[in-house]
Amino acid sequence: MSAILHIIEYDVRNFFRYKWWLVGLISMNLADLFIMAIVYNQMLSSDVMKEIGSYFNFFAPGLAVTGLFASAFMIGREVNMERRREVHHYMLSLPMTRMELAIGRVLSGGMRGMIYMSPLLLTCFIFLRFPTIWQLLVILAVLFLLAMGISGLSIAIAVSTSSLEKFITARGLVYYTLFFCSSVFYPLSLIEGLGKDGKFPMVLVTLAEVNPLSGASDMIRSFLLVGYPPFSYASILNVVVFSAVFTFSAAFAYIKIIERK
Amino acid sequence: MPPIIQIQNLTKKFGNLAAVDHLDLEIEEGEIFGLLGPNGAGKTTAILMLATVIKPTEGTALVGGFDIRKSPDKVRGLLGIAFQEPKMLWVATPWDVVNWHAKVCGLSTEERKRRVKQVLETVDMWEPRHKNVHALSGGMRKRVEMAKVLIQRPKIAIVDEPTTQIDVVGKHKIWNMLLELRDEGSTIILATNELYEADRLSDRVGIMHRGKLLVCDTPKTLKDSILGGDIIDIQLEKDASPTIVEELKSFKEVVDIMQVKPTNLRLYLNRVEEVVPQIMNLLMKKNVPVNSIRMSEPSLDDVFAHYTGLTIEEAQKDEG
Repeated sequence: MSAILHIIEYDVRNFFRYKWWLVGLISMNLADLFIMAIVYNQMLSSDVMKEIGSYFNFFAPGLAVTGLFASAFMIGREVNMERRREVHHYMLSLPMTRMELAIGRVLSGGMRGMIYMSPLLLTCFIFLRFPTIWQLLVILAVLFLLAMGISGLSIAIAVSTSSLEKFITARGLVYYTLFFCSSVFYPLSLIEGLGKDGKFPMVLVTLAEVNPLSGASDMIRSFLLVGYPPFSYASILNVVVFSAVFTFSAAFAYIKIIERK
Repeated sequence: MPPIIQIQNLTKKFGNLAAVDHLDLEIEEGEIFGLLGPNGAGKTTAILMLATVIKPTEGTALVGGFDIRKSPDKVRGLLGIAFQEPKMLWVATPWDVVNWHAKVCGLSTEERKRRVKQVLETVDMWEPRHKNVHALSGGMRKRVEMAKVLIQRPKIAIVDEPTTQIDVVGKHKIWNMLLELRDEGSTIILATNELYEADRLSDRVGIMHRGKLLVCDTPKTLKDSILGGDIIDIQLEKDASPTIVEELKSFKEVVDIMQVKPTNLRLYLNRVEEVVPQIMNLLMKKNVPVNSIRMSEPSLDDVFAHYTGLTIEEAQKDEG
């Protein structure tokens, strides 16, 4: 257990070495929220606006999930870089089990996601409303599970790709697929409607429905937005499954692939 | 007492290339074992397998009685490594690197506070302890890498080319640190391509070339094993002709001749005092002017050349 804590310390301290860069990114995220809200409130059709009320209110939880995703994914870039610079030889030589090392990396990626997302989530609370204690605990638990899954996904990609270019390409594919087919930027009902009208492939509609990013965004909205449809518990199950699959994939990939060379 | 490390048929292949080729070796507890060879000889790959960082293709090793394949976690608990290229957290200070390493190796907070300062002072890194590692010179980074092993005081310390990029004063400091570490009870594997370093520090030396262990014994026994107890290096004004080399070989005291450069000959021979005047007479008679002549005892360089037919520099180029 102490070995896992040391690995978390290693990764979280590395994360905070970029503190001013992170502050800049969070500020840019918040600026994006306000600018997009002003622009999109004018651009969206009245049908959509009737459903979501205000784009600021709709997008703020989505932005928190976006921030969580981007920062939890950063651990993969570091693992990939460590592998290319052979720093992983040092990590693998430390007196700890491979499982402790892998779990430590996944957990720290998740924690970094939560740290980065905190100011964005706080913004939601300030501008929408504060949740009850239970709602807050559910939000934090689900988002931490999601962050772990994202961290695991990025580590699995990082140890499976030999170069930074390949890692960045894979990251781009994952980013755009998961964000495009989700309710982070637009309501799920809009995607489902387009699917029924044959304007959107049904496979992508299904992906948007089971996407853990949709589940997490809609859960926060259902707690913070008055009149927003209640979230389905199945969406939490999606997050749990996503987290479990990628946490173990990452641990397995880290242990098996990284020792080969 | 059984050897602390028993390597049995250890092999690592990358595709068709055998980086380490059926290595058999035993290392005794408390000794400094020099693993000598040019870059690319397989030293680092062998070390990484012993440290359970990479998996062998074939064979295994027992480290402190634990099999590297079956009990890698237990093996890692016995080892400390100073890598060839310093493996640092990519954005950190020397203090962070050593302190975190000590923490992972289980040193208590009190002990850590004391020992981090002590070790960083020993390696002359206390002053720049809060500098970013990117701002450190190669030698300073190497010293931080050594500090990790010194603070850990492992049962088995592996140091991979510990003094490359380090000035002469720094080299001597690191050598003394390794000797102290051995005196405190650690077994040390010293991988190096510096013959003088291996000769000076090692209780025994194993010479590796192209993944294979060519020979292994004490430096003295290895040097004594070369036929012809004396060496003379002759530098000629002009290139040595094959005829003159043949004529020199005809002396019964001359065991072997190596043409180091077109103008430089190294002769391995017996009864040097008697034969040198005869050699000089021959060269004068043949009108071969001599720039210099130097007598010496065999070094590990000569041992390496004897077993591989190459100087370590040539072997390095060969591997490159």
